[in-house]
Amino acid sequence: MTWKSQANAIFRICYFNGFLALRRSPILLVAIVLTPLSFLFFLYVIAPRSVLPFGIVGGVMFTALFTGNGMMNDCAYFRLERQLQQVFVSSPLRPLSWILGMALSELAWTLPALVLFIIVLGLVVPVGALTLLALVGVILLTWLLSASLGFLISTFFRQLREIWPVGTVVFTSLSVLPPIFYPLAAIPAGFRWAAFVSPSTYASQLADHAVGLPVPTISVVPLLSSIPVEATGMVLLTLLFTLVAMRLARWREP
Amino acid sequence: MDALVARSLSKMYRGRHRTVPALDNVDMTIAKGRLFAFLGRNGAGKTTFIKISSALLMPTAGSVQLFGVDVVDHAREVREQIAIVPQEGKPFYHLTPREHVEEYLRVRGASAETARTRADEILEGMGMLPYEEIPAMVLSGGLQQRTLVAMVLATEAPFLFLDEPTLGMDPFARRQVWEVIRRAARKGSTVLLTTHYLDEAEQLSEELAVIEGGHVLYQGEAEALKSKVRREVRLQFGYGFTAQELASYGEVYAERNGLTLLTTRNHVEELTRRALERKIAVHIGPVTLEEAFLTLVGRAIEDEDPGALA
Ligand SMILES: Nc1ncnc2c1ncn2[C@@H]1O[C@H](COP(=O)(O)OP(=O)(O)O)[C@@H](O)[C@H]1O
Ligand SMILES: [Mg+2]
Repeated sequence: MTWKSQANAIFRICYFNGFLALRRSPILLVAIVLTPLSFLFFLYVIAPRSVLPFGIVGGVMFTALFTGNGMMNDCAYFRLERQLQQVFVSSPLRPLSWILGMALSELAWTLPALVLFIIVLGLVVPVGALTLLALVGVILLTWLLSASLGFLISTFFRQLREIWPVGTVVFTSLSVLPPIFYPLAAIPAGFRWAAFVSPSTYASQLADHAVGLPVPTISVVPLLSSIPVEATGMVLLTLLFTLVAMRLARWREP
Repeated sequence: MDALVARSLSKMYRGRHRTVPALDNVDMTIAKGRLFAFLGRNGAGKTTFIKISSALLMPTAGSVQLFGVDVVDHAREVREQIAIVPQEGKPFYHLTPREHVEEYLRVRGASAETARTRADEILEGMGMLPYEEIPAMVLSGGLQQRTLVAMVLATEAPFLFLDEPTLGMDPFARRQVWEVIRRAARKGSTVLLTTHYLDEAEQLSEELAVIEGGHVLYQGEAEALKSKVRREVRLQFGYGFTAQELASYGEVYAERNGLTLLTTRNHVEELTRRALERKIAVHIGPVTLEEAFLTLVGRAIEDEDPGALA
């Protein structure tokens, strides 16, 4: 198959696995929006108004990170339970195209939620074309990072049972603990660098930059607050996760 | 050129608790365009062979070539030539049978036009037109299985692997699927299917291999298998004889209405005379494939060294 037909196949997978699934089960939409919306609601009730924009950007980032959780679940489920990975890989389709198709369908699922949070953001802070563009860039980076991590984790599973606990641990640590819903400045200055252990912190800092929210300086490793460093870090991690995942992927069982 | 050549193929599953030898030194050749069936009990090694041959599992030793290409070293080339129905595979929840067929074909590079015509053809052939617009999640297990078989057969790939393709289907559906499988073979695909249904192997395959305990006990035509077990006739007796009385003539099975004996022609006269003397009903017929299979595999199990019969 040519590169063009591989690309075409990726969009077909996104269409039938992402778009059609969403259209036929709208409850998925509610399920995806509900958690970040609840966090936002708590913030609205208990926190000072100045924190609210961080919470809304947090909703955007939480949703973008959620693609990784979906990716981990679906890739493991389609391989272990439905055996559909085997059906699709035993074909002229390249394994990488299958992953990209899956990742794109995860993005399709979260698209309505992302749009919703961006609209809400526009009600609270001014969102110009440039801000929007920067935010979309950050969302795409976050999606690639999270989806590649999700796929990487999925390759370790041998049984469906393992998915839920591992997924909860990994994706809660990624999207709830680090400063996604709250400003990094809320962490004492001396410890802020530690938040950068989680790659999702890079994403949320970039998003705060993009929207023009105040971003604190970082002691110990001041370099971490630089946009190019954060963006490069995300790209490098994405590449690393993808490379390792492609090596570990069970296209063929040992 | 042969479609599939396996040489000294072995597979050991190494687990934490035990090591399972699933295939032991298997040699196998499948001619191009052949409709070939693997027959064997559960756990005989059929799925393991299919998974290795379709580049889904690494062998422990030995090699498989598909159209002359080594499956271990050149998985990508092999994958371009194949399509597979995995054992216990399941379709997507939310897609209809038609979407499964069309989308799978398009992902494999077919045009929208080709995908539509092939879907029309296969769904019609498999009697699935009444269900073509119903999401798989509300279809019965048999129809979900037919959906998978339909999407894979529609590819018309040069080599089709079908692992227990008619599992869970009713007898009508099975016959429809057999016909579509035959059609795929007529169009030039080589088909390797596994089954533990004897009638399926007999009706469908041009050639078959009997596998037991990771060994190939027999490879050839179904008819020839019957003569290989050297039992030509089956005598069914009403109540009267004991199993011990008959044991020296061949294989004896207890059945609902008496005893069944598989034996050779030269005993028929003597046995029918003895039955008539004692007013025991007797019924004479040909040996079925099922009986040949049971005899062959049964002997292998008793032998403890199944390889000796291969
Ligand atoms: N992943 C696995 N790990 C360990 N043992 C396995 C695995 N898969 C199959 N086996 C064992 O290998 C043998 C052959 O299995 P299989 O090829 O599935 O047989 P069949 O398809 O003929 O029923 C069986 O004893 C089975 O229990
Ligand atoms: Mg099997």
